[in-house]
Amino acid sequence: MELKEIKCESCGHINPPGTQLCQSCGKMIDSDYDQNKIKDLMRYDGSAVRSKTRSKSIFDRIWIFFTSVKVGVSIILAITVAAAIGTIFPQEYYIPIGVDPGEHYQENYGTLGYLYYSMGFHNLYSSWWFLVLNGLLALSIIAASIDRGIPLFKSLSRQHVKKHGSFFRRQRLFLNTERPADTSSLIDAFSRKRYKVRQDGDSYLLEKGRLSRYGPYINHMGLILLLFGSMLRFFPGMYVDEILYLKEGETEEIPTTQGQYYVKNERFVIDTYDKEDGEVFQQALSEGSDLVSNFQTDIVFYKNNSTDIAGSSPDLEEIDEYSIRVNHPFSFGSYELYQSSYDNSQLKAMTFRVEDSSGNTIGDNFTINLDNPESQFAVSEDISVNMRAYSPDFLEVADNGTLVSATPVPTNPAFVFEVINGQESELSLLQIMNSTDITANNEYNIRFVGAEEHVASVLTVKKDYTIPFIATGFVIFLIGLSVGSYINHRRIWIRADGDLMFAAHTNKNYFGMKREINEVLESNGFEAVNDKLDEEDNDKNKE
Amino acid sequence: MRKIWSYNCHDTVIQDTFIECYNEAMNQNDRQVINMKGRTRNILRVSIIVTIALLIGITLWFNLTSGTKAVEVGDEAVDFKLTTLEGEEIQLSKLTEDKGVILNFWGTWCKPCREEMPDMNDIYTQGHEDYEIVAVNVAENEQQIRQFISGLSADLEFPIALDREKSVTDAYNIGPLPTTIAVNKEGIVVKKQEYQLTKEDISTFISESTE
Repeated sequence: MELKEIKCESCGHINPPGTQLCQSCGKMIDSDYDQNKIKDLMRYDGSAVRSKTRSKSIFDRIWIFFTSVKVGVSIILAITVAAAIGTIFPQEYYIPIGVDPGEHYQENYGTLGYLYYSMGFHNLYSSWWFLVLNGLLALSIIAASIDRGIPLFKSLSRQHVKKHGSFFRRQRLFLNTERPADTSSLIDAFSRKRYKVRQDGDSYLLEKGRLSRYGPYINHMGLILLLFGSMLRFFPGMYVDEILYLKEGETEEIPTTQGQYYVKNERFVIDTYDKEDGEVFQQALSEGSDLVSNFQTDIVFYKNNSTDIAGSSPDLEEIDEYSIRVNHPFSFGSYELYQSSYDNSQLKAMTFRVEDSSGNTIGDNFTINLDNPESQFAVSEDISVNMRAYSPDFLEVADNGTLVSATPVPTNPAFVFEVINGQESELSLLQIMNSTDITANNEYNIRFVGAEEHVASVLTVKKDYTIPFIATGFVIFLIGLSVGSYINHRRIWIRADGDLMFAAHTNKNYFGMKREINEVLESNGFEAVNDKLDEEDNDKNKE
Repeated sequence: MRKIWSYNCHDTVIQDTFIECYNEAMNQNDRQVINMKGRTRNILRVSIIVTIALLIGITLWFNLTSGTKAVEVGDEAVDFKLTTLEGEEIQLSKLTEDKGVILNFWGTWCKPCREEMPDMNDIYTQGHEDYEIVAVNVAENEQQIRQFISGLSADLEFPIALDREKSVTDAYNIGPLPTTIAVNKEGIVVKKQEYQLTKEDISTFISESTE
């Protein structure tokens, strides 16, 4: 890469070669920065990056491998690509509950889908290779940080005040001028700019913002904590995210509580906004649609006092009542129950009526509870109906005359009814809106009147002990980022034997530092500091 | 060769020379800064690599074993208590005190279940002094079960346990129906089959459970 001036794309400021951040607006200019390490001596303050020396044991080799920035970036890239691929088809928790995932992906997305499934992309965040990649990322972060951070820390904490003349001349900001009678006013002026002053004979080291150098390491610590927190999610008891499907009126065990706690769905409510109210969403409401204002499950929370075995009925003691609404979960211990969704697709009961051949309704309607059907229904004084057979998901009539069901779910119910009038009886097969006479010349018809659905509330059972780790990790990460970005590590070396030698270094924002220094220098009667980059530019222009 | 503003020791090919050059520029005394005591360094490296390898291993192990675990051959059978269609209460551990037990998880809507029932019944009625069959119905109502039995040529002699809440089915983590499990007198699962039983299969189940 040849050295040339860089025009900032953002503000048009002409920056000297090698600039990383635009000196005017601060935009990142040189993305090749990391590849040109050699320019970057001061990053680790000239100390040797440990791994760049020599390798011995297998552990050393592993270590050195993972200290490489290239390896670290490759791991991050692999994780990113994997995460991107993981969005091509839905993750497993989005496919219908209960279906075989292998078949589902094959059927819906073909061979690619099957490949996706067999490589674990359908459950990306818990696939073994994704976990390994994250572990390797952690190792890479730790190794690279220790390898660079410790030598940096040592060299920064053991700085010597006295520097060789060549060191001064090699700094970008340099000034060699006539020594004044008294340097103390200059030093004081810098000390008022909050520089810490160290003195060794006639040499001074002024320093501020050293913390800036540790920004990346603070930020890496945050990342490690974040990775640790997400690892804990796989540890038993640390993290629970389960679905609880609860029909109105039913009591169910709360998953992962080992049968200790039960919850009953007393009532599920959907409230809508009042159209006459005129307060909110008036426009949408006037277009005729109902807007839901509240999803709510009224629950009773029980503790099971029986420690008995599977299948035996629990001994429930009522502990609490609560109305779970969206964003208002019910909490007990470290668990929380959230309102997630609801389902009213399952049939609960069906109502029928009997009519005679001329179409007159006879007696009362009768209702069949599909969960636990009764078989006798008295319709009127003379006439009763006998439910001879019921199939929740009608498939066919078997050879022995019984109804065969394809599944136990009432999605296509069929019934065989016997209408009894004194001594006479007649049979008919009834599917919803479709009836077939079994006996000939039936006098009575049974008609479908209506159906009632189960209202089921879907709750999410959550428990998460990893949040404190992840949140702390993230806060530390952000602190590290700000420390590294907004604090500048500025050092000034002054030697006052013979001439006055003055050199300055900063890890970023030379523009700002130059301004700060020149302000002080000029107010103390000195000339402005020389910037080597400017000089080089001028030289080049002359040529 | 590139000319770079800060030092003269830039484009040196060999790292060590480069570092030395730089250190001279910094200060002769600074050189010792670079050295970290070798032993501490090795302990640190080894312990970090080993710790991370262990943590990855543990996480993978938890991840692979966390999935719902089905009861398999060699496992201890989960004890349970259920009510039968006749209203009696049965408990597995009481049955296994003196008999081998065959658990048959079934549903009336499942064709192979319907087909194997009469076969099981035939063998059962020929004598069952040393074993017991428990047909665990998965979450159906009595009407459905009675309707199914009424369609059979002979009544089922063995008890039909009602698992209405699916608590036993879940405890055994039953996948497809029918699933048949043989439990011996020690309460250990000795055989498991996840498809329809032939008459020979039923006999094998019986002999294995009574061994």
